[in-house]
Amino acid sequence: MSLLRVENLGIQFGGVRAIQSLDFVINPGTIHSIIGPNGAGKTTLFNIITGIYAPTAGDIYLDNVPITGRRPHELARMGMSRTFQNLQIMKTMTAIENVMVGRHLHLNRNLLSCLLRLPSVTRGDRQARKRCVELMESVGLGAYIDAEAGSMPYGALKRLEIARALAAEPKLLLLDEPAAGLNAAETKEIDEVIVKVARSGVTVVLVEHDMKLVMGISDHILVLDYGRKLAEGTPDEVRANPAVVAAYLGNVGNVGTVGTMGTVS
Amino acid sequence: MPPAFVEFLQFLLSGITSGAIYALVGLGFALIYNASHVINFAQGEFVMLGGMLTWALTSAGLDLPLAIGGAVAITVLVGMALEKLAIEPARDANVVTLIIITIGAGIFLRGVVSVTLGKDFHPLPSFSGDDPISILGATIMPQSLWVLGVSALVVIALQGFFSYTLLGKSILATSHNRMAAKLMGINVGFVLVLSFGLSALLGAMAGILIAPITATNFEVGIILGLKGFAAAILGGLGNGLGAIVGGLTLGIIESLGAGYVSSDYKDAIAFVVILAVLFFMPSGLFGRRGTERV
Amino acid sequence: MAHNVRPSGYSKFAKKQTYTRRMSTRKSRAQMLLSERGGGMASLLLVILVLPLFLANDYHYDVAVNIGINAIVVVGLNLLIGYAGQISLGHAGFFGLGAYTSAVLTAHYGLHGLLALPIGALGVGVLAYAIARPVLRLSGHYLAMATLGVGLIINIIISREAWLTGGPDGMYVPLLEVFGTEVYGGPMWYWIVAATLLLAVWLSLNLIDSPVGRALRGLHGSEVAAQVAGVDTTRYKVMVFVISAVMAAVAGSLAAHFSEFVTPAKADFSHSILFVTMVVLGGMASTFGAVVGAAVLTLLPQFLADFADYEHVILGLIMMTVMIFMPKGLVPTLAALARRGARRTAR
Repeated sequence: MSLLRVENLGIQFGGVRAIQSLDFVINPGTIHSIIGPNGAGKTTLFNIITGIYAPTAGDIYLDNVPITGRRPHELARMGMSRTFQNLQIMKTMTAIENVMVGRHLHLNRNLLSCLLRLPSVTRGDRQARKRCVELMESVGLGAYIDAEAGSMPYGALKRLEIARALAAEPKLLLLDEPAAGLNAAETKEIDEVIVKVARSGVTVVLVEHDMKLVMGISDHILVLDYGRKLAEGTPDEVRANPAVVAAYLGNVGNVGTVGTMGTVS
Repeated sequence: MPPAFVEFLQFLLSGITSGAIYALVGLGFALIYNASHVINFAQGEFVMLGGMLTWALTSAGLDLPLAIGGAVAITVLVGMALEKLAIEPARDANVVTLIIITIGAGIFLRGVVSVTLGKDFHPLPSFSGDDPISILGATIMPQSLWVLGVSALVVIALQGFFSYTLLGKSILATSHNRMAAKLMGINVGFVLVLSFGLSALLGAMAGILIAPITATNFEVGIILGLKGFAAAILGGLGNGLGAIVGGLTLGIIESLGAGYVSSDYKDAIAFVVILAVLFFMPSGLFGRRGTERV
Repeated sequence: MAHNVRPSGYSKFAKKQTYTRRMSTRKSRAQMLLSERGGGMASLLLVILVLPLFLANDYHYDVAVNIGINAIVVVGLNLLIGYAGQISLGHAGFFGLGAYTSAVLTAHYGLHGLLALPIGALGVGVLAYAIARPVLRLSGHYLAMATLGVGLIINIIISREAWLTGGPDGMYVPLLEVFGTEVYGGPMWYWIVAATLLLAVWLSLNLIDSPVGRALRGLHGSEVAAQVAGVDTTRYKVMVFVISAVMAAVAGSLAAHFSEFVTPAKADFSHSILFVTMVVLGGMASTFGAVVGAAVLTLLPQFLADFADYEHVILGLIMMTVMIFMPKGLVPTLAALARRGARRTAR
């Protein structure tokens, strides 16, 4: 039984086909990585899956329910949550308030109750706060609980995104380059967080450039190139795939990529 | 000509005349918005200054052409001073704060003019007489031809300025990407001052051209500013062609609405149409329909 | 202000200290909430209770009541502009609609004022709901244009339908009657408006520190992040638009009965701009800033009236100067200064 199924997916911007005839399946309880060169369509794919873009072709199923074209907040209700490559932090709020927005669906959202500050609201907020503090500590944000989000360092904000996404208690968590811009030590910490999350039963989909991280923690990898599927399989299968090697190594100018691939084997 | 057609033509001509004015004011909004992302709610005051200063200078004894030149020059200086003294120091403020600053500037300018030049309505003489000209049975005042002709010239000159001069290109570059423009050695601060000056020039021209038709006083800028803003939004904010089309459309709708539906409700009709357009085209007629990058 | 715990300086500590640190931040947060909510409400109550001692005549009461009425509108508008980040340049339209509903229903149809007021509020709520969906799809300046258009259309209708509204000349409004007594004169109105304002402030403070309020502030910070967190952003924008419109309508009804006369100027563009200016000048995303903004911009013209013709020159200069040097508005800027001062003395 698949958690997420993508069939013949495609999207066009103007005349550009950013994604075309893409099929893949994500099984529950796995860490699934999506890799590919810049511009391969990874973030676009995330934006389609989470309902931010509407695809121009194909279908997506979550738990066998068709979700193509549904709005992001509906998908959140169905158990989907994500982080953003370009940080989407609510900067005028405190760190914990950001995380508590992530808990939105678990709280009393009745307008009248909120206006009158009924005990059910304050009680729920108190519990949510406690839970969010725990969550923030578990991703290493214990020092930033009441910090103004706008004044936090980049590495902490990356974790804040993850904490906010986790606060929703999703079935499916999509992480868009969680390690981008982080140093080696920070990347290792994020790595641990992701594994911890996956062990708790959340299915994780990861877009990432850091090959070491990807190869180390993924159960399954999907390689995109120019919006098409280039290869997929276990890390070992992908690493041995000639098409993948050609796509990465064939590009002689891209020394950086060669370097990161080199660290894999 | 059938009378119904003549009537229609008459409404159309008067609509195009006021539409040309709205287009000039709308272009002023677009120009400043492009260069600085500020919506300048003092734009209407440039229009008012053009008309009022021309009146003041002619009553001081200057010939009309000289008075016009003087009024335009002073308005341009006021526009540049506005950027330098009020917008630049608040560079980092958010958009709503900047809007309030320009609204404050508008109140200030209206106040100064009402104190120095009084609150009365003043007509300007028509540039070339008041003998109506007949076109296919409809009549048009010579001043309307001035409005249309000068507006067209201004638009062409502006097009040339942006296409062929280094200065124009540096304004365009700044509006596309301020940081990159700065790195290319463009003096962004000067470009912003210049764009306010140019925008003031457009406003002043509009105010001078329309004054012989509607007369001018210290408060005419409020409504003309609103109409210009509406024109810029209708066409798609920041799009020059959009502002022109938006202005003409607005003028024609108003005129037809006043003629065929209800003159009491001509402004309401115009705004209902704008709301309807925004309902179907949330970025105006020619606005960029960008997808948010996340 | 709730956000003064800075992380810098903390980050070097080891994890072990997290627990105690958390306790301390929780405590300080409780104190802050006390000062923001309880303390703020208490100060406002104190001001309201003490102020009548300084109100010497009808004119003083008149100004005080007008401050209160404007503050009710601005507290609501601040929810929309300051917290949810959506602009409206048409709220005077809703204010005017509330005022004219009360005026017309009581004067022409003999309805009781206390019945006309909720009818006006409900009517404006329904209207705001109907226009909010299409209008709030727009963003930024397009939204400004659309709300401006809505306000103008309301104003034009009020001005033109003279058979009902008296047209540009305005119309008389009967006195409001509460529990069989006619409400008349400054002091009585003072307490009615003060109570309504306190209620508005209390509701506003409740809302912003609740799941709904966090959703509103969240969609301001990042609309897409709020959406993927499950916030139906359109619904929330519509909701806060309706709330702010209803508050404007209630204030409008009170204003109509208070001045016993209404004119279309209550609903015009410059009145809308005045409300927005109050929000921004007082401080966006600050409920007490909204009250201060309303007070300052209601009082200012009274003082400037002495300058006669120069009134607008000075008003414009003050608006520009404050916004240039305090872009965040009076209350947040002064609160930040006070905090910095407190920290310095603490050291």
